[in-house]
Amino acid sequence: MSALITLENITKSFYTDEIETQALHGINLSINKGEYISLTGQSGCGKSTLLSLLGLLDSPTKGRYMLGDQDVSALSRDQRAAIRSKQIGFVFQSFNLISDLTVEENVMLPLSYQSGISRKVMQAKAQEVLQKVEMGHRTAHFPSQLSGGQQQRVAVARALVNDPAIILADEPTGNLDSKNATAVLTLFDKLHSEGATICMVTHDPASAQRAGRSLEMFDGRLVGDIRNTQAPRPTTQVTADLEAL
Amino acid sequence: MMAMMLDLKYALRQLYKSPKFTVMTLGVLLGGLSIALFTFSFLYTTIYKPLPLPEGETAQRLAVYNDGEFDMLTANEFMAVKQGVSVFSELGVYRDQDVRMSKGEAGRNFFGAAVQAGMFEFSRTKPLAGRTFTALDSLPGAPAVAVISEEMWADEFNRDPQLLGRAIELNGVQTEVVGIMPQGYRFPHIARIWLPLQDNIFDVQAPISEQFNVYIRLKEDVEVAHAEREITQVLRSLQLQNQQSYGMEAVQKQARILTFQMAQTGGEGATVFLFLSAISWVVLLLACINVGNLLLARILEKQKETAIRNALGASSGRLISQLMWEGILITVLGTFLSVCLVGALLDYVNVGLRSWLPGAGLFWWRYGLDGATLMMALVYMLGTLFMAVFLPAWRSTRQDINATLRDGTRGAQSRKAGRLSRILVTTQVFLVALLMLIGSVSALIANKFVNIDLGDDYQNVMSTRYSTPERTYPSAQQRLNLTYALMDEVQNHSAVTHVSVAQWLGPRKVHFSDQEFDQAQTGTEIDTISMIGDFQTTGVRLLEGRLFNRADTADKRKVVIISDSMAQRYWPGESALEQHFVMEIEGNREQVYVVGVVSNLMNPKSLFGRLDSADEIYLSGSQFVQTLQKLSYRILPGTTNAEEIFYRAMYNTAPNLDVTQTVMPAIKNRDKMRESMRFISHLTFATGAFALALAVIGIYGLTANAVAQRTHEIGIRRAVGARDCTIIALFMRQGATQLLIGLGLALLLFSVIAMGFQSFTEGLFPVSAYFVMACLVSIALTLVVLLAVYMPISRAIKLEPSSALRYE
Repeated sequence: MSALITLENITKSFYTDEIETQALHGINLSINKGEYISLTGQSGCGKSTLLSLLGLLDSPTKGRYMLGDQDVSALSRDQRAAIRSKQIGFVFQSFNLISDLTVEENVMLPLSYQSGISRKVMQAKAQEVLQKVEMGHRTAHFPSQLSGGQQQRVAVARALVNDPAIILADEPTGNLDSKNATAVLTLFDKLHSEGATICMVTHDPASAQRAGRSLEMFDGRLVGDIRNTQAPRPTTQVTADLEAL
Repeated sequence: MMAMMLDLKYALRQLYKSPKFTVMTLGVLLGGLSIALFTFSFLYTTIYKPLPLPEGETAQRLAVYNDGEFDMLTANEFMAVKQGVSVFSELGVYRDQDVRMSKGEAGRNFFGAAVQAGMFEFSRTKPLAGRTFTALDSLPGAPAVAVISEEMWADEFNRDPQLLGRAIELNGVQTEVVGIMPQGYRFPHIARIWLPLQDNIFDVQAPISEQFNVYIRLKEDVEVAHAEREITQVLRSLQLQNQQSYGMEAVQKQARILTFQMAQTGGEGATVFLFLSAISWVVLLLACINVGNLLLARILEKQKETAIRNALGASSGRLISQLMWEGILITVLGTFLSVCLVGALLDYVNVGLRSWLPGAGLFWWRYGLDGATLMMALVYMLGTLFMAVFLPAWRSTRQDINATLRDGTRGAQSRKAGRLSRILVTTQVFLVALLMLIGSVSALIANKFVNIDLGDDYQNVMSTRYSTPERTYPSAQQRLNLTYALMDEVQNHSAVTHVSVAQWLGPRKVHFSDQEFDQAQTGTEIDTISMIGDFQTTGVRLLEGRLFNRADTADKRKVVIISDSMAQRYWPGESALEQHFVMEIEGNREQVYVVGVVSNLMNPKSLFGRLDSADEIYLSGSQFVQTLQKLSYRILPGTTNAEEIFYRAMYNTAPNLDVTQTVMPAIKNRDKMRESMRFISHLTFATGAFALALAVIGIYGLTANAVAQRTHEIGIRRAVGARDCTIIALFMRQGATQLLIGLGLALLLFSVIAMGFQSFTEGLFPVSAYFVMACLVSIALTLVVLLAVYMPISRAIKLEPSSALRYE
């Protein structure tokens, strides 16, 4: 299987008042297409920093990052933005929907940053992914009018709308109750079963178990890489979980 | 109480910890409050404050509006009102009059007033020494007496205790000083010396009756409107009689009872007060918006803290008061400092006006902190507290606690904050655009007056005004002989090059034989000036034909000299000489012949337009002899004691001449006008500049605040693929929308105001000038707003998306 992402000796340092804090130490990682990866570790171990680098939200201090055949470790801000809008989908713990925009407009956002896509096409695509997460009936609502679980499903729809090469989720269930958390994880299972590549940061061992591969971090280093035998779950169970919501 | 003390202590600590915020907020508020308070105090004292006299609030003046124009009553009208209306408890007439006191060869002029007996009692002021006037002092042939001011007694007579009863030479007449008024007394306007007004002013017939100021005090139970109705009725009846008896022109009379201050502004004080106050309120509103925004930004920073307090059981009232303390402290301190600053400025104005204005200005111009100013400071403070302090605090407590406490849910609150920010920016743009537009027109008008070409040349010209009333000089020939004698005497002086006597007569109806020019047989009104002597004293040049001479007597054909604009307008391409037309003069229709054409002169009709936009006709002063005259004489440069030339001539020819305006350089009044206009221009510019500075700070602050609030959103947009330029374009587009709405509304309103300006100034500027100004203001404001939007956004996008997403 060809590697979708390859990280070679990635280091990330932050500077505060001339004090250097090294968040990542020589990370080497390869992610294949279609993999469902969980990233676990204690608070402050560098999970979110690694996810930010994977999502091109930040640049590594050292090392090489290959996305497919392209070296993306030293791209300009706009070049990184262009890749994000086409190849990466994000799901955040705090949903990060724009309060001024409706559900549909939030979902259309990544497409609006790509050139040459008509509004009609954008709307159709948004409607399609919203149906997928069973939010097609709330397109005209604003985020503040939705529950936490519903907001996160909209966030997932936004992550899917550009048919990304990889979905990056940063503790997607951290702000949700168990019922909504299960639904979101089930949605991820479904997406994975349909071929999506997912990388999810989580604190929850049970959530991590749903992924086919578990990475563990400690003090800015990858200290574990385990293949789970239980995952993935059958598609029928996924559908049942979603319908239960 | 304990809780309040804790909140106060907390607020003080917060302000101490943020010195930049404290100083900026205080500075903005201090500027806005000071401008508004100073404007109010200055205008209130100038226009509305009761006269600083005992019972000053009931002292009023009676004026008449002739065809809507503010005017004084004639002696004839005064007598009719006095006899026909019973609404007054006191009334009398006076007029301002310059008085020359001579001491041997030397002399000095003083501002004075000719008053009736009873005026001093009207002002409820007793003399410091001696007596005031009695009715006997006004009788014809009564010994000449005068009352002088304490200042004059001190300055001129070194407080001589023996002065009372002594004779001094006033206007060439030995006059006994009978009284000394107390210090500071200058009623009715700027008088330093008072002479009795002779009763024979009431003996003349209506057409030649002189005009006077009328002071009144109404009976206690009489309403002003009722009194005005009764007086108007009397004046209209008299006017009808005069039309029938003397063929006087029909004029619509309307009596108005005004305060002394309002009368001094020609009845226009309320408009001026409202216009200037409105501008100062806009500046204060801008300051309030800015301060409110700065405080709002602080409050929003504490939004989560507020939600926690609320969740822990704090009531809305407690939360509001806690959030308001910082604003309260700043507002109270700002108000206190602005009161101190305005007090100092008013003192400075007092000193400045006294040294700058002749006669130290009107006696009620005593600027300073008074009860009304302090009361208005309180009102402004409360208004500021409401707008800039309470509203942001109240708005902040309307948040959804759950939403705020739930980490990352920046939903409803953020939307409302964004909307409020947009509304505030739009309002700021609207107000500033309006201020800049109005300010630029005002500055342009003021500048026009500063640099106005009046078509004259008064360098090295002295002028004075005198009266030759018909009661003293019954025949026109007597008046003319006096004028000739006076002119010859002045001309005889070796330093005098030209002498003229002129009188502005105002518009007179003219009928041309050519019907094309005759506006439906009603005649064309053209400004008319009576002239004797050399036009060169006014700087008007002879272009064609001849000037008047002494052979142009009343029994000869009537001759006129016209302005070049009139010659070009009515006889284009041909000579205007010997052309003739009919003028309505003193109730008669006179056929007049053009004997000369002179250069154009600025007159009230062309004041707002070009020099040639209105015409002038000069009548021969020896054919149409006037009672009021303005004598001007041009002197050689460097001539000393130039005013003595006139007074010596006067003593040699007519020592009792009634001089109504002291001899002074003719340029002096012009310079005063120019200086006033320059001052207004600078004031307008300074206010506009402060408003613009407020706007720049305000719009930048609002935008920076809005961007800061949306930093997280910027992070989200960039996370899903937005480029830097896309984000900048998004914010610039939103800024442009606010700019378009605010500027558009201001331009709409300005177009209405500009039409008013255009009408008021009678087309002073071409319509294109308003377009140019609107374009310049629009461009300037667009640059300011877009820069104010660009700067914070360009800073915000420098954050990596990962940092922006973590931004709180």
